[in-house]
Amino acid sequence: MIEVNNLHKSFIDKKDKKNTVKALDGLSFTAKDGEITGILGPNGAGKTTCLRTLYGLLSADEGFATIDGISVTENPLAARAKLGIFPDKFGLYERLTAYEQIDYFASLHGMSGKTKKQAIEQVIQDLELGDLAHRKTVGFSQGQRMKVTLAQALVHQPQNFVLDEPTRGLDVMSTRILRNHLAKFKAKGHCILFSSHVMQEVAALCDRVIIVANGKLAAQGTPQELCELAGEENLEEAFVKLIGSDEGVAA
Amino acid sequence: MITSNLNLDLIQLKALVIKEYREAFRDKRALMVALMMAILAPVGIMVMSKIMIEKLVDEPPVYVKFIGAEHAPKLIKHFADNNLLDFVDVPNDEKSAWEQRNIAIEIPEDYAADMAEGKPIKLHLQADFTDKAVQPPVRRINNAVRNFSLSIGYKRLLLRGVDIRLLNPVKLVEQDTAKPDATFMLISMMLGIYLMLAAFMSGLSVAIDSSAGERERNVLEMLLCQPVSTLKIVLAKLISASTVAVIGVLLILVLTSVSVGFVDLTKIGATFSLDMSTAAVLLLLLVPICFFASACQLFVAFQTKSFKEAQSTVGMLIGIPAFIPFVVSMMDDRPQWLNWLPIAGQSMIIENIFKGVDVDWLAVFATSAVTIAITVALVLALAKKLKSEKVVMALS
Repeated sequence: MIEVNNLHKSFIDKKDKKNTVKALDGLSFTAKDGEITGILGPNGAGKTTCLRTLYGLLSADEGFATIDGISVTENPLAARAKLGIFPDKFGLYERLTAYEQIDYFASLHGMSGKTKKQAIEQVIQDLELGDLAHRKTVGFSQGQRMKVTLAQALVHQPQNFVLDEPTRGLDVMSTRILRNHLAKFKAKGHCILFSSHVMQEVAALCDRVIIVANGKLAAQGTPQELCELAGEENLEEAFVKLIGSDEGVAA
Repeated sequence: MITSNLNLDLIQLKALVIKEYREAFRDKRALMVALMMAILAPVGIMVMSKIMIEKLVDEPPVYVKFIGAEHAPKLIKHFADNNLLDFVDVPNDEKSAWEQRNIAIEIPEDYAADMAEGKPIKLHLQADFTDKAVQPPVRRINNAVRNFSLSIGYKRLLLRGVDIRLLNPVKLVEQDTAKPDATFMLISMMLGIYLMLAAFMSGLSVAIDSSAGERERNVLEMLLCQPVSTLKIVLAKLISASTVAVIGVLLILVLTSVSVGFVDLTKIGATFSLDMSTAAVLLLLLVPICFFASACQLFVAFQTKSFKEAQSTVGMLIGIPAFIPFVVSMMDDRPQWLNWLPIAGQSMIIENIFKGVDVDWLAVFATSAVTIAITVALVLALAKKLKSEKVVMALS
């Protein structure tokens, strides 16, 4: 379970105090186990800042985030051990093979020996990476890079997944693989939090949607509830309406 | 997957180090730099020694324009014995060089007559005395003339029954106390400075690549999101960069000790050998320097905003430690605290080793301890810095 409570974060320009960006302005939400929670928001709404605070990369000015009840700021290593992360900016170690890279992250999560080997084989099989596994990752296509990054995030079967726009650049087949994968983990009772721009995907996959605008929670609920709240037929229209006017921010 | 804490630490550190090694040793260009330095050193030393030996041993022929040579055949023969030859005989390939140096000796017409009468004779030597290339020939001409003149003078006195020892009431007896090893100072000092430079240079590209480079390739952020302490991350990067540095230094030592065997230094009365025990002491001194250098480079590179900035900033910083041995070797009056300073302390000990002075073990341990202490401080400070969002995100 991931809980975010009253997060505030400003990026201050030292030279020009007026140039301060308020990225998060009292954002709170909860992502429960056994559910897929989607974060929707326009560009610059604070999605990535929120997720980075969750990993402990950024420290919030105010408020706190917990993962399975462990505070990210107080005990970052223990909190991260329960996380699988697919970050906003990601790169691959281009001099390593896909297998070595996944192995590296599995070891960082304390896996070793047979269990590690099995876990790696499993994730490679699940994400259909078999053909690529022993090639160096230099020259991989965008989609292949995504898959390797996903594999390294999922190899230790974390209780909580945080994915920052995981489907960008993926083709339909890969998106489906990912979707099935996430659904399988959801059924096993994992907590999945992911941010996206793609409405259909959010509508199809998410149990709950959190709409973020200007660093604040604009609305939350099931896709159906959000449509009803906005009085619109589809999620896209509802989204535009909900972030566009403050009237909708009931709930 | 519940593992004890120590076990987890070991698994993580091992994975981090293996990954850093894989990246470092698969980066062919970075390795090339490290190995190039190592290979250049022995080659440079061999070439330099060859040149030095030639200079010291040989008296290369000097071609002089004699004017009026026919008046003094004995003098000309004496010159020829000392390899001071007539310009007429100059080989074609050296002709222009000697034409330019233009050394001329004028022998007066009445040389033979004056000689017979015992009158003083003036030989005129003409050359550009400020020209460096002219100075050694001029010195040799000077000596040749003085010797020639003295030998005739002695004969004249002997003929008159005068003891020639009267001419030298005071005689300076020179006793060279320098150990044979110390005569080869210049080359060995160069080697010392070079070894220090190699310790700094060899691991440089690995250090920058694994810090600023990784951040630029967006892999650092991912790593810092993992449940690993930043101290382990820093340690792994330090181990990998300094391993490459140590390999560079080791290669220089091995290749130098092998290549020096090919140069016959006995010709100039010098012996220079890099035996096993000397090499071991040098290595012992330089390993802490390798770690210290890599720690400095990582510390600086992590705080720059881009890979390029890291390259230029760290490149500039290299200059400072590289200069210290130069400065120290030129200082006559060395303050006590220099012994304790990293790099300066080591370079003085290395200088002494090459001079043939016995190793001062207390100094070795003291300077090593200070170097290691500073390295540890740098590592801890860097581990702390990596927790700050400024360094992670490369914010200003």
